[in-house]
Amino acid sequence: MKRMIPISIILFMIIILSGCWDSKELTDISIVTILGIDKEDDKYKVTVQILNPGEIAGDTGTTQPAVNTYTETGNTLIEAIRRLTSIAPRKIYLSHLRIVIFGEEFAREGIGGVLDFLSRDHEMRTDFFFAVAKDYAAEDVLKILTPLEQIPGNNIWGMIKTSEKIWAGVTSVNIDDLVSSITSKGKEASITGLSITDDPEVGSKLTNLEKSLPYTRIETYNEGAFRNDKLVDWLTEAQTRTVNNINGKVQSTVTTIPCGKNGDLSLEVFKTKVEKKAKVKGDTPKMEVNIRVESNIADVSCTVDLTDPNEITKLEKKHEKDIEKTTRDSIKEIQEMGVDLFGFGEKFKMSNFKYWKTVEDEWDEVFSDQLEVDINVDVQIRRTGTTNQSFFEEIEGNMDQEEE
Amino acid sequence: MRKWLSKKKEPMEVENIPSDLATPLHKDIDQTIENVKSILGNSSDFVVREFKIGSTQLVKVALLYMDGMASKMFISDYITETLMIDLRLTDLPTGNNADSSGKGSSPNQGNVRKKAKWIKPKVNPQESDLFKVMKDQTLANSEVEECKDYQELFSFILAGDSIILMDGYETAFAIGSKDYESRSVEESSSTTVIRGPKEGFTETLRTNTSLIRRRIKDPNLWIESKVIGKKTQTDVAICYMNGIVSDKIVKEVKKRLDAIDADAILESGYIEEYIQDYPHSPFPTVYNTERPDAICGGLLEGKVAIIVDGTPFVLLVPTFIVDFFQSSEDYYQRADIGSLLRLLRYLGFFLALLTPSIYIALTTFHQEMIPNQLLISLAAQREGVPFPAFVEALIMEITFDILREAGTRMPRAVGSAISIVGALVLGQAAVEAGIVSSAMVIVVSLTAISSFVFPSPDLSSSIRLLRFPFMTLAAMFGLLGIIIGVIIMVMHLASLRSFGIPYLSPMGPLILQDQKDAFIRLPLYRLSTRPRLMNQKNIVRENTDKPSPNRK
Repeated sequence: MKRMIPISIILFMIIILSGCWDSKELTDISIVTILGIDKEDDKYKVTVQILNPGEIAGDTGTTQPAVNTYTETGNTLIEAIRRLTSIAPRKIYLSHLRIVIFGEEFAREGIGGVLDFLSRDHEMRTDFFFAVAKDYAAEDVLKILTPLEQIPGNNIWGMIKTSEKIWAGVTSVNIDDLVSSITSKGKEASITGLSITDDPEVGSKLTNLEKSLPYTRIETYNEGAFRNDKLVDWLTEAQTRTVNNINGKVQSTVTTIPCGKNGDLSLEVFKTKVEKKAKVKGDTPKMEVNIRVESNIADVSCTVDLTDPNEITKLEKKHEKDIEKTTRDSIKEIQEMGVDLFGFGEKFKMSNFKYWKTVEDEWDEVFSDQLEVDINVDVQIRRTGTTNQSFFEEIEGNMDQEEE
Repeated sequence: MRKWLSKKKEPMEVENIPSDLATPLHKDIDQTIENVKSILGNSSDFVVREFKIGSTQLVKVALLYMDGMASKMFISDYITETLMIDLRLTDLPTGNNADSSGKGSSPNQGNVRKKAKWIKPKVNPQESDLFKVMKDQTLANSEVEECKDYQELFSFILAGDSIILMDGYETAFAIGSKDYESRSVEESSSTTVIRGPKEGFTETLRTNTSLIRRRIKDPNLWIESKVIGKKTQTDVAICYMNGIVSDKIVKEVKKRLDAIDADAILESGYIEEYIQDYPHSPFPTVYNTERPDAICGGLLEGKVAIIVDGTPFVLLVPTFIVDFFQSSEDYYQRADIGSLLRLLRYLGFFLALLTPSIYIALTTFHQEMIPNQLLISLAAQREGVPFPAFVEALIMEITFDILREAGTRMPRAVGSAISIVGALVLGQAAVEAGIVSSAMVIVVSLTAISSFVFPSPDLSSSIRLLRFPFMTLAAMFGLLGIIIGVIIMVMHLASLRSFGIPYLSPMGPLILQDQKDAFIRLPLYRLSTRPRLMNQKNIVRENTDKPSPNRK
């Protein structure tokens, strides 16, 4: 008993004196979903988009927007974020961050300076995506209110995620992907682009949302190619999809091939497997890319007999050629750009380290001047959907009769 | 320091029937009656009926009993009528030759004279001694005992027995005539079932033993009685299945009961507090129930039941934590649904214990763990709530506990008022007024309904008690605190033993064969052995094959 008293006093003091250091009430934090980073006179200009929970989930809607944006500058990212407290009433809470947007100008100057904080801070989760605002500053994108999904962060996150899943137009890039591609010499990063359709000032007002199709909208715009941490150029849609395809990021997409006289046939790709083999012949590096695609017939607007296996084989061949052509063209264009977005360098590093050591420092030149890429495509058409023959034939038949 | 915490116990001075009363009764009947009256303080419910028996040599006799404790009908039909009417024509011997004391013996008058030939005397004493005649041939009652001193006399009379004093004798008769008003067998109010027997124990010990005996018709069902409580003289019965129960446990139960030195046992809760293993633990180590079928189930597993007169709550030892998750209904309905409901109760345990603390921890420490949309909606609700989540939770939990206590204590007639006040004021108005968030109301309601899933209310009171330390831990250390609290709780549970058997069994120590009836309940044909830790002798309890249709 005599020993119990000091022990219990110590326990009591441990609890009283140490407790609660990390606690933060929900009413003391500002939930940030988008972080925008621009450059202003050698300083970082940080814009945060803070949720207004009462507006989003509250019972009574007011005329306030669902989000508010605050901007502040600082020598480092954290300095600017902490300085935000001079205008924002609550602590900036970054755990629920969805998107980090770089302004184009800032991206062209290099994004390396901010990545350290984003990966070092313990409060951050690692599931937020990166994006680059095309032609605009990040601040402008953050101002824009979005329809349907009231929280722009979730809106953009959803656009990227869905596109990645069913269209492969863009892919999500998280902090781990980005850091590893920026630091690696044999792979460069490509980040989702975001563009604005109209004046951002208009988009920042609630009246923008009063139309069924707002004037000012945020749209994804392919991807921006980075050399190290600097934005080099914007990719076209075909290039973006090729990059994603070769990087094995395509889950499902649609490709369209010409068929018949002037019709089209769309195939829903549901499985893609890509194999990359690096070889060095003499002094020439050679890359072999084997693409295996499984797809379903999704949309037919031409006369074709889908019950005939030979026709299907023909379509497969056509599809193979099509993929091969776009892939070859895109790779050539990207080679001219001189950024190895495919990670071919990584492949060489893994398969032929000796060779890699000799070209490591001038890999960009080797990639654009010497690398030969050999593409083999194998397409399997699995299913033709719930109908066999397209009734397009009959429609065409009717049209022919009318013409007669 | 310790002195004021527990004073050294002194031997009890007050006794129910002072030991100096252990003196023989007086031979003079009037003197005895006078003494008894004065000791009872002329209590108004004490009845003395004096009369004379015999035909020629009348013997002065007195009948003593407590009004309201004994059956008047029984006394008049079988005692007074026998003595006054049937013996009217019998010439009784008056001496007490056979009395070992040999004092005041009268001449032996062993002959019987018949007054009228056509009236055959009911008693035909062959014996020479009036005392023996009375005992062996006259008093046609099943419970007749001799009573030699005042101490015995009071213990009989205060228990509802009748005393017959005879002039000239130092020994009196005590005749069992207990009969007092009691509740009939009704449906148990604390534990209800949909399927299963509805009857519950009553306040009468004898009724309770009969309810058990009626279910287990086995000579090995042994019931031992004891009187505990110096003032209350409460009958306590220890009931067990001889041959199934471990002798060590019975011995231990008896030892602990014998050690009780108290003046009153008013309810089985008194016994529970005196015999439990860990008085400071929030977890009950003695099970109690109002249901005879649950007690019988326990007896057949090798447990010991302690029945206390005056309460319908029967104790069952040893007790394990799994007992509190088991309802007797689990065995009456299909095994699959029984298992599901049992798992649900385990879930309910953690929900009732941890929901408020997890809510506090997540909303004040780990906002990153809450899905985005949910966080926004929680934040919107907390907007304008003036208190931190911990204080908010504390307010609601305490209010709910007050409400619950009020609901239990308040008269039935105003019971509906409580539910209106509870539902409207707490649920709706508090949210609308912005004092608490509606998520908190959901949390408290979830806690409340989860704490009612246990068949026995004992465990839910432990949870009620532990919820607040857990909330404090959560408010100070977040999930880390909760986990530390859970670890401490499990360590404590693992250290508990009930009558020598680990409280956490069959989980700690892990007994694979007893898992059949712990978290889930396997079909009855799979429950072939009794719990291993309690039974070493008679292990197999059934040997039925799995039922299957006869396919030929």
